[in-house]
Amino acid sequence: MDKIIQEAIQREAQLATRRHFLSSLGTGLGSLALGSFLTNCSSDAGTSFASPLAAKSSPKLGKAKSVIFLHMAGAPSQLELFDYKPSLAKFDGKECPPELLAGKKFAFIRGVPNLLGPKAHFEQRGQAGHWISDYLPHLASQADRVSFLKGMHTDQFNHAPAQLLMHTGSARLGRPSMGSWVSYGLGSENQNLPGFVVLASGGKNPDAGKSAWGSGFLPSIYQGVQCRSEGEPILFIQNPSGVNSDIRKASIETINQINQETYQEFGDPETVARIAQYEMAYKMQSSVPEVMDIKKEPAYIHEMYGTEPGKESFANNCLLARKLVEQGVRFVQLFDWGWDTHGTGLDGSVDYGLHQKCRQIDKASTALLLDLEQRGLLDETLVVWGGEFGRTPMQENREGKKLAYFGRDHHTEAFTMWLAGGGIKPGVSYGETDDLGYSTISGKTSVYDLQATILQCLGFNHEEFTYPFQGRNFRLTDVFGKVIDPILA
Amino acid sequence: MILLDAEVIPDWILFFGHFHPMLVHLPIGMLLMGMILYLFSQKEEAARQKSIAPILWSTGIVALISCAMGWCLSLAGEYDQDTLFLHQWLGISLALSSLALAYMAQFWSQDSLMSRFFKPLLSLAFILVMWTGHLGGNLTHGSEYLTSYLPQPWRGWLGIAPREQTKGEKGVQPIRINNLQEALIYQDLIQPTLKQKCWSCHNAEKQKGKLRMDSPAYIMKGGANGVILIAGNPSESDLIKRILLDPSHEDHMPPKGKINLTEDEIVLLQWWVKEGAHFNKKIADIPYDTRIKSILTKYTQGTNQQEVYISPVFKENIPAAAEADILKLRKHHLLVIAVSKEKSFLEVNAINSKHVGDKELQDLDGIKEQVVSLKMGGTKLTDEFLQQISKYPRIISLQINHTNISVQGLSYLSSLQHLETLNLVGTSIGDEGLAEIAKIPALRKIYLWQSKVTDQGIHLLQKKMPKLVIDQGWKGKWPLDTLQISTKKPE
Repeated sequence: MDKIIQEAIQREAQLATRRHFLSSLGTGLGSLALGSFLTNCSSDAGTSFASPLAAKSSPKLGKAKSVIFLHMAGAPSQLELFDYKPSLAKFDGKECPPELLAGKKFAFIRGVPNLLGPKAHFEQRGQAGHWISDYLPHLASQADRVSFLKGMHTDQFNHAPAQLLMHTGSARLGRPSMGSWVSYGLGSENQNLPGFVVLASGGKNPDAGKSAWGSGFLPSIYQGVQCRSEGEPILFIQNPSGVNSDIRKASIETINQINQETYQEFGDPETVARIAQYEMAYKMQSSVPEVMDIKKEPAYIHEMYGTEPGKESFANNCLLARKLVEQGVRFVQLFDWGWDTHGTGLDGSVDYGLHQKCRQIDKASTALLLDLEQRGLLDETLVVWGGEFGRTPMQENREGKKLAYFGRDHHTEAFTMWLAGGGIKPGVSYGETDDLGYSTISGKTSVYDLQATILQCLGFNHEEFTYPFQGRNFRLTDVFGKVIDPILA
Repeated sequence: MILLDAEVIPDWILFFGHFHPMLVHLPIGMLLMGMILYLFSQKEEAARQKSIAPILWSTGIVALISCAMGWCLSLAGEYDQDTLFLHQWLGISLALSSLALAYMAQFWSQDSLMSRFFKPLLSLAFILVMWTGHLGGNLTHGSEYLTSYLPQPWRGWLGIAPREQTKGEKGVQPIRINNLQEALIYQDLIQPTLKQKCWSCHNAEKQKGKLRMDSPAYIMKGGANGVILIAGNPSESDLIKRILLDPSHEDHMPPKGKINLTEDEIVLLQWWVKEGAHFNKKIADIPYDTRIKSILTKYTQGTNQQEVYISPVFKENIPAAAEADILKLRKHHLLVIAVSKEKSFLEVNAINSKHVGDKELQDLDGIKEQVVSLKMGGTKLTDEFLQQISKYPRIISLQINHTNISVQGLSYLSSLQHLETLNLVGTSIGDEGLAEIAKIPALRKIYLWQSKVTDQGIHLLQKKMPKLVIDQGWKGKWPLDTLQISTKKPE
């Protein structure tokens, strides 16, 4: 008998950890979540903003209220788009100087590769005089709206870890993504939509998989909700046949009541997240199909973005991103697959395949900037464009052999990203690479610096924005990161 | 403080020294307690005095220990010398007075002559406690600490400058050079930078690391770790080395929480040291390369530290809105949220409540002092609402796109002194409305896409308000059809 009692005590002790106890002391999440329970139907609106996704104020005055991150998965070539290197053209086809290769590792390049001159035609654009190639003619027409980081660098030369680093601040699995941090910190303005939405195009999800928008150790209500631009936007959210909305509502209410009791018994904050998720899913049954439907957009908008309703495309996703931000979503993450131009095939060549990819995104991403601007949203929306790393100034020689097409290998030491909108000073170009575009010589910025800057625009000090987990305070930028002041307005 | 000057102070001395601010409160409390007991005692004078003798003895002894620890602390040399001198001797006098009082209470309480001196000495000790304590506070927290939050009318009576001026954002005033040919490198370029970024910890009142930087002599003298500047050798100068350290490094200067030097300032400082760290040469007499030249140009044009524009409203400090008033608005499903956690300015967003109209929005009156941003796009509001908010003192941003407002409504907006952003997208505002818009004094940006204004009207408005940014939206056609440009397939 004693043993049974002892076991019971031990079980309970295991369930109610110190963390649960401490966190319930501080916030009393459970009661808050219940207060928000299906507020649309309840008359007591006073407490309706206390759910985990309720809109919150930023610690400091932030210019941006939301972020749209356009990720060109696979990594676009900066040397064909923004980082113009006439010297590289001069040495086209020559062997790469050995001092650049000493002690360096590449994903595929072996031995001594040849340098590869830029395959696109460059011109200086706008008053800012940004070098933008003719692969991106629409963006070039809006050069003065954007600012460039030309000295970006990373320490990961494979797609998945580099993407994870870009979005979660760690090349390994398990950390919350930037969007999760932002929706944890700011909630969602729209009570019927999640704070963090992910849209993918290009026929494939990014290599880093769903971890690139995972919530890590943050409550799972903050993870990115992936919406499909083709077919039903979110799978399994519609009522099955024979279940009407009343039955659905009643069953969710019952499930949440049980969950509420479970929470009171065990105090696990994940239970609160689950309650909020049920609640959100119910609300999204009507809100998501509405916001995700681009058919009702006027013809001139389709003309502007180059959208075709019903198709999976980057253009459709750009239009959706604008609609979501307009509806108060905090972080919209776009992935477009197909930028990995190694030169192993025609589609992966920097002189043809890359140009085709640029055609798919140029009009839409430029339209996104213009459309946000004309609605008065660009002032409050930070738009970020880039890949997970850059591409080599050398032509790829996979396993030492010459490839049939012009391509470039993964490159960590220098790549270009652009930012525009809320909090960004337009028309700035920060950072410089050497004459061959191999490494950064001034204005070197890391992935952490970019993350710190994005948080800064949203009104967070990246060093103070933390979440306690396993006995220590974690932050998006780990122990790194410096805000890139020169590009801030 | 004289004995060990210039030598490295052993850790144990500073260890004891750091107990001074804590221990010192013990004798203060004891003495005051003794005074209270004495004051309220019903006994006769002699018995009164005698009864507090043990308290006074302990006060005196602990006070002496505190003095010793205070002396240890003073060796760190981080304090204003004048205040320290006074604090030190007043403290010692106080300790001695306590012992004297104790002796008197113990042995002279029966003596009718000597016991008469007890009361005056006790009163003197009270004054000493207050005075010494106050000086101690000044040493630790700075002389402005006590009065920094003094309310306005009292400041005037005491002759203290208004708070904005004393506590304003210092250190970010742009440094400007008017005449590059005549400007002196130290006085006009280096010193202002040091003043902004270094002097707050290295000055006459406070000398962190025993270093003062408020005059050339002190800069050359260096601090506890020796000289900080070797003319002609920036990479060996501590001044430069510490600035260049990683900001997370313990020895980085300025320390965490202070404003860092800008990249330009660091380059200039390095250049100054490299060229000999002159204190009285003209900039023009010192050789400089193109990099320095371009930085100097920024200084002459005043673009070196362009202050980021922020509405004057955000510099105010205002009381928070009443919870009941906010709750009233939330009942209408309006999103009411502080624009930042630092201050009480509010944004009201109708994103979840497009159904609201003038009647519901009347409840905004409760937070009219706090509201700075109104996002009312797509709601049922009318001109009446604009009349209502025309008396709100702090509106900076107003979104009334896709609403049924008219010229009449816009005419109310001219009284909004701080309105900077106005969104009129999708309204029926035409050119006649632009005349009213031109009357809004602080307007910086206006959105007019899908309104009824014409290019001519815009042109006129722009003429009236040259700095106003006017957005008319997309013209409905791309300038070029990129799909017409052919891409050739490589062989």
